[in-house]
Amino acid sequence: MHRVLKLSFPLRPALLLLVPLAIALLAACTPDNNQSTFGTAGPIAEDQADLFKFIFWIAAVVFVLVEGAIIYIAIRYRRRSNDDKLPHQTHGNTRLEIAWTILPVLILVVIAVPTLTDIWAQQNTVPQDLGEVLNVEAIGHQWWFEFRYPDQEVVTSNELHIPVNRPVAFKLESQDVIHSFWVPKIAGKVDMVPLNDNFIWMIGDEVGEYYGQCAEFCGIAHAHMRFRVIVHEEADFQAWLKGMHTAADTPVAGSTEASGKNLFAANCSSCHTNDSTTPGSYAREISSQQARWNGWISDIKTSGIVSAPNLTHFGTRNTIGGGLKDLTRGSLENWITDPSSIKIGTRMQKHAAVYDTADGKAKLTPAEVSDIATYLLSLKPGTAPAGAVIETDGADGANIFATNCTSCHSTGDNKVVGPGLAGIGDRAGSQVAGMSADDYIEQSIREPAAFLVDGYPAVMPEWSQLGDDSIDALVDYLKTLN
Amino acid sequence: MTTKSLRMPQLFPRPKSSTGIWSWIGTVDHKRIGTLYGITSFIWFIVGGLEALMIRGQLASAENDLIGPETYNQLFTMHGTTMVFLVIMPLSAAFFNWLIPLQIGARDVAFPRLNALSFWVFLFGSLLINFSWITGNAPNGGWFGYAPLSGATFNPGLGMTYWVVGLNVLGLASIAAGLNFIVTILNMRAPGMSMFKIPIFTWMTLITSVLIVLAMPVLAVAGIQLMTDRVYGTHFFNSLGGGDPVMWQHIFWLFGHPEVYILILPAMGIVSEVLPTFARKPLFGYPFVVFAGAAIAFMGWFVWSHHMFTVGLGPAANTAFSISTMLIAVPTGVKIFNWLGTLWGGNIRLNTPMLFSISFIAMFTIGGLSGVIHASPPTDAQQQDTYFVVAHFHYVLVGGALLGIFSGIYYWWPKFTGYFLNEKLGIANWALMMIGFNLQFAPMHWLGMDGMPRRIYTYGENMGWETSNMAASIGGAILGLGILVFIINVFYSKMNKVMAGNDPWDGRTLEWSTSSPPPVHDFDEIPQVKYRDDFWFQKYPETIAEYHHDEHDQAVPSGAQLDEVEEALPVVSGGSYGHGDGHSAIHLPDMSYYPFILALGIAGLGAGFLSNNVVIAVGAVILVWGLIGWAMEPVNDPK
Repeated sequence: MHRVLKLSFPLRPALLLLVPLAIALLAACTPDNNQSTFGTAGPIAEDQADLFKFIFWIAAVVFVLVEGAIIYIAIRYRRRSNDDKLPHQTHGNTRLEIAWTILPVLILVVIAVPTLTDIWAQQNTVPQDLGEVLNVEAIGHQWWFEFRYPDQEVVTSNELHIPVNRPVAFKLESQDVIHSFWVPKIAGKVDMVPLNDNFIWMIGDEVGEYYGQCAEFCGIAHAHMRFRVIVHEEADFQAWLKGMHTAADTPVAGSTEASGKNLFAANCSSCHTNDSTTPGSYAREISSQQARWNGWISDIKTSGIVSAPNLTHFGTRNTIGGGLKDLTRGSLENWITDPSSIKIGTRMQKHAAVYDTADGKAKLTPAEVSDIATYLLSLKPGTAPAGAVIETDGADGANIFATNCTSCHSTGDNKVVGPGLAGIGDRAGSQVAGMSADDYIEQSIREPAAFLVDGYPAVMPEWSQLGDDSIDALVDYLKTLN
Repeated sequence: MTTKSLRMPQLFPRPKSSTGIWSWIGTVDHKRIGTLYGITSFIWFIVGGLEALMIRGQLASAENDLIGPETYNQLFTMHGTTMVFLVIMPLSAAFFNWLIPLQIGARDVAFPRLNALSFWVFLFGSLLINFSWITGNAPNGGWFGYAPLSGATFNPGLGMTYWVVGLNVLGLASIAAGLNFIVTILNMRAPGMSMFKIPIFTWMTLITSVLIVLAMPVLAVAGIQLMTDRVYGTHFFNSLGGGDPVMWQHIFWLFGHPEVYILILPAMGIVSEVLPTFARKPLFGYPFVVFAGAAIAFMGWFVWSHHMFTVGLGPAANTAFSISTMLIAVPTGVKIFNWLGTLWGGNIRLNTPMLFSISFIAMFTIGGLSGVIHASPPTDAQQQDTYFVVAHFHYVLVGGALLGIFSGIYYWWPKFTGYFLNEKLGIANWALMMIGFNLQFAPMHWLGMDGMPRRIYTYGENMGWETSNMAASIGGAILGLGILVFIINVFYSKMNKVMAGNDPWDGRTLEWSTSSPPPVHDFDEIPQVKYRDDFWFQKYPETIAEYHHDEHDQAVPSGAQLDEVEEALPVVSGGSYGHGDGHSAIHLPDMSYYPFILALGIAGLGAGFLSNNVVIAVGAVILVWGLIGWAMEPVNDPK
C-alpha cells in the first residue's frame, strides 16, 4: 500500500548548476567599466563598495555553508536502491533551533554596526572639516540634468564640473517626475522628487570624467537620461568658472558663425539660452526656465516651448544629448537634423516648430544645419572682459527683434508661441486705458506677465536686460509692423 | 423545502449539470475552482513569460532596436503586473482551493459561492487589464506605478487607468478569497484537528490569507486615489496640484512588502510539505516553522521603506528600516535551517517534487543573502534601481515562489488527476529551469554592481554590459524551454497515464487518505484526527511513540502533546458538515450562477471607468442583480 516509486536521480548533474554561478563570479570583477561601483573615484563610493564587500564576504560564507549542507545532505542521506527504512521520526531540537535563531542575529549585528556608521556619515550634513563646500542645485528634467551653482551664479546642463577633493553639497530637485541622481564611481544615488527637495554630498578624489545616469524610471527616454561629471584640479575648476562668466566672441558679420547665430536665434532660442555669462543672466535663466516649464505644462500636447538645457559655451562640451554621444560636428548635425536618431522621445522634436514636418526632421537645409553646428561649436569663452554688457549692434530694432524675439513672435498675424505682432503699433494704444502705445509695448517687454494676452501661456521672460537703448529701438521697430 | 414561503422568484434555477461549460460556470466545488485558477493563471504565466522573453530579446545586445522604448516600457510594466497579480498569487490560490479542505478534512470551503466569486472576479480583472494590449493602450508606468509618472499629466491615455482599475478589481478577488480561507481554516477543521495539528501548508495559507486581507485594502486605497487622480482630476499624488508623490510610494510599499510574503509564504508551505514526505521524516521543528512564518508576516509590515532608501527620507528613517529589514532575515533563516534539519538523517528520494523543493532552498538562500546586502542603505544607494535588485527579487520569486509552486504541481498532480506527471520529462523540466534561471539571473548581480539601471530599454556599447546581458538572454530562452517541457509533460502524461493510487508518495497529510482524484464530497467519512501528520501515524503507528517521545524530551510547546491525544475526541471545529459525526449524511453546497453574474457586474463597473458612465451604469445594474439574486437564492431548489 505504501508504494514508493523507483524513481531516483543521480545527483552529480545537479552540481552542474553551480557552473553558471562560478562563471558569473569569475567574470564579476570589472572595476574599469564606466559605471562600475567598484574602482571608485570618491570616498563615499569607496566606503559603499567596502561595506558591500564586507557584507558580501559574510554572505559568501553563509552561502557556501548552506549550499554545501544542501549538497552534502542530499548525497549522504539519499535513498540507496530499494532501501525503504524509516528514518528516526524526530520532532525537532529546541536547543539547536534556538541556536540557529540567535546565530543570524549575531551576524546581523556585525553587519548593522558599519551600516549605521555609514548611514550617519553619508546621509547627514557635510562634515565640517573636509574643506570649503561647493553648493550645486541639480535639477532633473524629462530627460536631462540641469546644474546651477547659486553662489557662483553659473548655470549649465548635462556636464557637471566640480573641483577635486572638495565636498560638493547638492540640492536635488525635480519639477516633472521622479528622477534619481547617480554617479556610480563617486557616490550612490539619491532621488530627485517633485515638491520634496533632497540632499546629497560627495567628493571626487580623482581628476577625470565620470558617468552619471538617471536611475529612477522616468518615462520614454529614461534609458537616455545620462550625464557626465568632470572632476578638475582646483585651479582648472576656477578657470572653468571664470570662463562661464566670459562671453563668447561675437561672430564676424557675414561669417558662417553669424549665419548660424541667426538661424539659432530664429529656430532654437525660445527654449535654449546660450549666453548666460553676464551679471544677472543667472537669475534670468532661472526665470526663463520656469517660463518654459509653465509654457509646456499649460499645453502639453501642442506647446511650442519646453524646458531645455542651457547651452552656454556649448563648444567646450565633451558630449551631446546628455552624455549620449561624443560631441563632434557629425553627431551635432545628426542631433539638429533628427534628435530621435540619437535620443528617442526627446521633447524638442515634438514641440519645436522647426521639426513640424511629415518625417519629424528639421525644416533646415544641410547647409543651415551645418551653420548652426559651426556656431554652437564656436561657443567658448571669448576674449572680451567678463561682465560685458550684451552687444546690441547699435540700436537696430530689426536686428534685436530677429535675435531675441522671432522664435516666439512672427511679424505677421500668425501665432507662434506668442501672438503675431503685425499692426501692434495701432493696437497698442487702446489696450490699457491711459497708457500710450509706446508705454504699452515697452512695459510688455519689461514685464510681460502683467500684460498677458488671453489665450497665451505666461512664458515670456522679462527682457529688461536688453538695456534702455535697445528696448527703445525695439519699440520703434515694432510700431512699424503692419 | 421548508423555506418555500420566503423564496423569491428565480430568474435562474440553481444549475444542475455536472458536465459541460455550465457546470464550470455554476460550480462552487473548491476542486473545480482550484483547477480554474490553475489553468487561468498558467495561461497568464505563459503570457508573462513571453513578455519577459521579448524584454530579454531587446536587451541581448547593446543599442538593439528590436522593440522601441514605448513597447519596452509596456512589456516590463505588464510582465511585473502579470507575474505578481495574475500568476504567483492565483497559482497559490489554486493550491489553497484544491488543498485546504482536503488537508483539514472538510468537504468544501466555508463560503463556496464567495469562492466562485473570487475566481470570476480574478478572471474578469485579468482579462480587463490585458485587454489593454488589444486596444493598444497597455500600461507603461511600471508595475509600481510611481506618481507622478503614473498620473494623467505625464502619462495621458488609458494605459495606467487600465492598470489601476484592473488592480482594484483583482484586489477584490484576493480579499474575498483571503477571508474565505481564514474562516475555512479556523472553523472547518476535522474533529480533533487542533491548530497545532494542521498541516504546515495550511498554516502558511492561513498566514498568507491574513496578510492578503490586511494588505490588499491598502493597495485598494492607493489604487482608488490614483484612479480618481487620473479619471476625475483629483490631486492625491499629483505634485502639480500639491499632492505628494512620496505618499504613493509609502502606501504602495506598505502594501508591496507584505505582498512579497503573500507571494513566498505559500511556496514555503509547499516546500514544508514536500521535504518531509520525500525525506520520510516529520518537519523539523514544526512550531518554529509556524512561528517563523507568523513572525515574517508580522514583521513584514515594518520594513516597507527599504524600497525607498534613496527617496531621501533621511538617516533616521533609513536607520530604522535598515534594522527592521535585517531582523526579518532572522525568521527566514530559521526556516532554511529547519528545512535542512528536516532533510538531515532522512531517507531522501530525489523525485521531481523533491528536486524542485531542494532547489527552492538553494535558490531562495541566494535571494535572501542578496537581500541582506541591500538591507544596508549605504550599499543599497549603489544597488537601488539597478539589475542587482532585479537579480535579488527574481531569486526570491522565481528561485523561491515559482520553484516551490512547480514542486507543488509535481507533488499533488497525482492527487488532482489520479496519474503521475512523467518523471523523466519532469527532471528535464527541472534541469532546464535551473540552468536557464541561474544563467539568466546570476549575471544580473554584477550588471547591477556595474551600474546598469533597471527599466532601460537600451544601453551603450561602451558600458561593458553586453556579455552578461547576452548570457541572461540565453538563460531566459533556456528557462522558457524548461517551461515548454513542462507543458509537453502535461499532455504527454495525460496521453500515457501512469495511475498513481491514493497515496503515491507515502504522504503524511489527510489529502492522501482519500481517492485520487478525490470524490466531489472529498471524503466518504470525515476523518477523526489524533495527531499532527495523522495519516502517517495511521500508516506507521509504531513511530508514534518515537515522535512524541522526542517532543516531551524537548518540551516544545505544541498542541500535539501525547496526553491530549489520548483524550476523547469532542467536536473541536464548528464545521458545517458532519459536526464531528463522520457518518452523517453528506451535504454539499449547491451550484450557483450568481457569483459569475456578480463578477461580471464588478468587471463592468471597472470597465466603465475606462470608457463612460453608460458602461458604469450597466455594470452597476448587473452587480445589483447579482447581489440580490445571490442573497435571495434558496438553499435548495425544489426537488
